[in-house]
Amino acid sequence: MNYILHILIMISVYLILSQSLNILVGYTGLLSVCHAAFYGIGAYTSALLMTKLGLNFFLALPLGVILAMTLSLLVAYPSLRLRGDYFVLAGLGFQIIVFSILYNWEGLTRGPYGIPGIPKPGLLGLEFNNLPLFLLISSIFAIVILFILYRISVSPFGRVLKAIRENEMAALALGKNVSNFKIKAFIIASGIAAIAGSLYAGYVTYIDPTSFTLDESIFIMAIILVGGTGNVKGPIVGTIFMVILPEILRFLGIPDTIAPNVRQMIYGGLLILLMFIRPQGIIGEYKFE
Amino acid sequence: MSINLNRGDTIAHNKNLLKEIQCIFKPNNTMIKNYCDIISESSNISPRLELKEITKKFGGIVAVDRASLTFSAGKVTGLIGPNGAGKTTVFNLITGFLKPDAGTIYLRDHPINGLPAWRIAQLGIGRLFQDVRVFNKLTVLENLLLAKKDQLGENPLVSLWQRKKVLKAEKKNIEEARRWLKLVGLEEKENSLAENLSYGQQKLLSIARLLAGGSEILLLDEPTAGINPQIAKSLLAIIKQLSQEGKTVVVIEHNMSVILEISDWVFFMNEGKVISFGLPEEILGDPEIRKTYIGI
Repeated sequence: MNYILHILIMISVYLILSQSLNILVGYTGLLSVCHAAFYGIGAYTSALLMTKLGLNFFLALPLGVILAMTLSLLVAYPSLRLRGDYFVLAGLGFQIIVFSILYNWEGLTRGPYGIPGIPKPGLLGLEFNNLPLFLLISSIFAIVILFILYRISVSPFGRVLKAIRENEMAALALGKNVSNFKIKAFIIASGIAAIAGSLYAGYVTYIDPTSFTLDESIFIMAIILVGGTGNVKGPIVGTIFMVILPEILRFLGIPDTIAPNVRQMIYGGLLILLMFIRPQGIIGEYKFE
Repeated sequence: MSINLNRGDTIAHNKNLLKEIQCIFKPNNTMIKNYCDIISESSNISPRLELKEITKKFGGIVAVDRASLTFSAGKVTGLIGPNGAGKTTVFNLITGFLKPDAGTIYLRDHPINGLPAWRIAQLGIGRLFQDVRVFNKLTVLENLLLAKKDQLGENPLVSLWQRKKVLKAEKKNIEEARRWLKLVGLEEKENSLAENLSYGQQKLLSIARLLAGGSEILLLDEPTAGINPQIAKSLLAIIKQLSQEGKTVVVIEHNMSVILEISDWVFFMNEGKVISFGLPEEILGDPEIRKTYIGI
């Protein structure tokens, strides 16, 4: 039972991450490969504020979000002036810088040793210190965020983001300040990724930089590409598929000595196959090019 | 059926035009009324656009060479010339997609060089692209809804926290968008994705989107290319009417009968230079221009 609850909690965390990245990739057409960096900023800010200053989770979380949003503004302003491949490279650079800081600033982050003993969230005397309660809180976060992002996606703001994705020049010709919209999308996505980071830190109670690498950014990207971008449903399907699939592969009865490698190969093979059959993802409405 | 328009006519007073639009788009008087209503809402400003000694180079190629052009309010100005003459580059320079290497562009006597493209669009310069540029994965109605500038719900915080206000504004915008769709005969297609329309329909959609934006200056790059002759005729009538309502209209067109029909003035460009300017009949009657441009 605990195993299933753990999977469900991880699904809710990745659901928040994938939905927030969908704002950038699916709605705005921006290929961002630094999402794990903002996820990490949220996680580390919450963890440090809770362990060093004794702040409550529900105070630490918004501060992590504010820091992630502020940093995203600083990153977005210069990098969103870049187009296509150069924007991807700028994102890659930011991802590497954040990882390097987390890994090397030992005085603050304890570097590769990570931060242990992060307190579980608590509110008004209620400690979310067991799996069902944590699932409850992470599900509430996921549902509220899903609802907010859905509202944004069907608003005139969401419509402009889609227009930018479809044809930036035409959007400019209609008087839309494209850079401004992209910056707003980037800030929203980063802030929400930081919420996922805080939740993750509060759940696992120990974080280290290896959870926030480029591999993690690519995994989040894979979730939305598999599920499909440009709508709210795609990342939901992608998250469930990508979080559960490796777990299902555990039950194939492969000998322990080769199991991890074989599982990775099957996993990779299935993803390649899926991209051939459904390049727009399982239920996506937009094929990222 | 020919359309006869005189200076000072309004759409409501020109029976020929009314009949023409009614015949071709939809046999529906409400549509004409809608058109009149929409046009009258944004027709009382007289903008003037002026390019002085504009030069644009791409590497060693001079795309526009010290070109000076003036586009007046209430006139349709044709911009003609062979391929590579620099016509579309002129549009790109006016709309801020390209920055001139030399010279100044004035909008109502204010220089607009260096302003970003979105800002220039907000100042009232609208553009119809030659290659339509509709938003493929958005519905026809959504394409139209994007035309309105500075919408309340385009601020994400406002769209979340002032939802009632946004929905109210959206309802009004949808009503207006439907009127434009009706005008170009696409009202049945409002929920179709733009990518599923034919090329001609996409062109009509982009024209409706441009008109819905309420720009005072309209830059039209081959507006009738790819659409059926009957609809093209109605479109020309609307273009003519827009200029009579005080809009500045600039048309790039390779179809000379279109230029003759709608233009008040014509600039002829070749190899980036403005070669000639005058009445359409004069320009197209010039033997040298005919030889350069039409080859006869």
